[in-house]
Amino acid sequence: MSRKITIDPVTRVEGHGRVTIHLDEKGRVDESFFHIVEFRGFERFIQGHPYWEAPNLVQRLCGICPVSHHLAAAKAIDQIVGIDPPDLSPVATKLRKLMHYGQIFQSHALHFFYLASPDLLFGVDAPPEKRNVVGVAVENKDLAVKGINMRKFGQEIIKALSGKRIHGTLAIPGGVYKTFTAKNRDYFLNGSDQNNVDTMIEWSQQMVDFIKSYHEKNRTFLDEFAAFPSGHLGSVQPDGAMEMYDGLMRAIDAKGNITLPDVHPDKYADYFSEAVERWSYMKFPYLKDLGRKKGWNRVGPLARVNICDYIPTPLAEKARKEFVEFTGKKVNNFTMYSHWARLIETLHCAEVIKELLLDPDILSDDDLVRKGEKRQTGIGIIEAPRGTLTHHYEVDDKGKITRCNLIVSTTHNNDAMNKAVRWVADKVISEKKKITEGMLNQVEVAIRAYDPCLSCATQAMGKMPLKAELYDSNGELVDEKIKN
Amino acid sequence: MKKSKTEQNQTLLIGIGNTGRADDGLGWLFLNRMEELYPDRFEFEYRYQLQVEDAELISNFHTVLFIDATVDDLPDGIALKVCEPATEYFYSSHMQSPEAILYLAKTLYNKQPETSVLKITGYEWGLGKPLSSPARQNLDCAADLFRKNYILQEEPSY
Repeated sequence: MSRKITIDPVTRVEGHGRVTIHLDEKGRVDESFFHIVEFRGFERFIQGHPYWEAPNLVQRLCGICPVSHHLAAAKAIDQIVGIDPPDLSPVATKLRKLMHYGQIFQSHALHFFYLASPDLLFGVDAPPEKRNVVGVAVENKDLAVKGINMRKFGQEIIKALSGKRIHGTLAIPGGVYKTFTAKNRDYFLNGSDQNNVDTMIEWSQQMVDFIKSYHEKNRTFLDEFAAFPSGHLGSVQPDGAMEMYDGLMRAIDAKGNITLPDVHPDKYADYFSEAVERWSYMKFPYLKDLGRKKGWNRVGPLARVNICDYIPTPLAEKARKEFVEFTGKKVNNFTMYSHWARLIETLHCAEVIKELLLDPDILSDDDLVRKGEKRQTGIGIIEAPRGTLTHHYEVDDKGKITRCNLIVSTTHNNDAMNKAVRWVADKVISEKKKITEGMLNQVEVAIRAYDPCLSCATQAMGKMPLKAELYDSNGELVDEKIKN
Repeated sequence: MKKSKTEQNQTLLIGIGNTGRADDGLGWLFLNRMEELYPDRFEFEYRYQLQVEDAELISNFHTVLFIDATVDDLPDGIALKVCEPATEYFYSSHMQSPEAILYLAKTLYNKQPETSVLKITGYEWGLGKPLSSPARQNLDCAADLFRKNYILQEEPSY
């Protein structure tokens, strides 16, 4: 009897996805898919809008990482008004970076504390009613409070700069519309409550120590679970340092060979193409030179730590060195190490935020906006929390957008997530007569490690019911689990 | 960062919804109306959905009222109920119930503000659609109920 297992939707990820696993008569995995079945539309309906609306319109793609879309679009639109990233004023660049690092900090905190930590603290087989952030709050109050305050800190930085925690505005074509105040800076630097940047650095360091300790106790699980070789893509500074806001695109293969040699963002279309599959609305980007099957790359924290030569802040660099020691400085292809890499990045963000807060340029109210000679194309690439994010706009003579192409971070991880699902299907579910909730959660654990933002990836709005179904070869429902 | 109003006001009104989706905006429209009538008397927060960190927010207040649209067919189109802490948890990070938020405030911050939920029945949920006429009537009823329960009770009688 062949069977089909459906996990619908995948839980504790941003947005809604579905997994199907097809088993043959002997219960072996025949094929598996991670489907994204929401409708995409932003690339189309933004056409016809004036270019200056883009940074505010596209951030509505998401309620978790709107800042990334706001800034990637702004970088592209800067070029429409004749300003390349190096030509932006120092105050505008630094204020945008402050918001960007605040965004990554809060997003990483959200993922680790709210979404991932229940699996690590309670185990992948723990009862689902315990395996959530409420369970974390009950059993590990200190961790939960730190998670909430770290997320709040990042969100308050965003709010101080853009007026709102979600969907505010800082960037305008060629710069920023307002500067930072000394009162705000002092609050984040020296605030008397727990929300000051030194506390954030201290707590971020504690989280790195937490995952190192977890690694010591669970190394086999971290080394083996959903591990597979792949390429890795991210951005670096010209000297190879990790770069989140404005860098060169670098990719390596599973052994560390360079497959994309520090390419300027303007050239992305020369190197990347996107494939589609009939079973998903999410695209599959890949490097043209290597082709569809070999050219896909993981993106996000693990990839960024893999591709950079160093991290340009001291505590995060120390943490990176410890991280790479575990693989003998070889490329880390272990899916579950994404959590560790994410916490190293969280620490890096906190350090960068402090550097920026101490920089007097952020208080300047001169030279907020610059303008050059208008152009008709703009490309903005940024390292969003989940990975490399590309916004590309073309406009007509009247400044109306005629074409928009978005390569959203999560789409780069599309192949990786499908491969991770297949790994769990083969190793955990194959040839098992009874499918348990714990087994299904392991499929989700593999996907969750990539922190996918599925609403971003398809630019969708939607809601799905939550159930897992098991069908026999005649299409009869033989088992069903409801998760809520 | 905003502390001055919080120090003065001990009551927080949280409107949940989205004015871009017709009657789903009832919570926000209710807040708009109250903010116009009583700008300095309450603290106002607008939410698309409740999130875990809202537990920290409500822990700073004595009284909290969540206002949200509902598909339930309520008598007079409204219902005001006391909210009790509960461990119900939604599978997504960014869609929690008032009960779960209250539970987290109690567990993490040892605070349990007097909390109620005001539900207002909606009928239309389409993207870009305006508020429906029956929902507007329910909004009026909700405003009256609020005045009775939160305004008149605080005002001295002569």
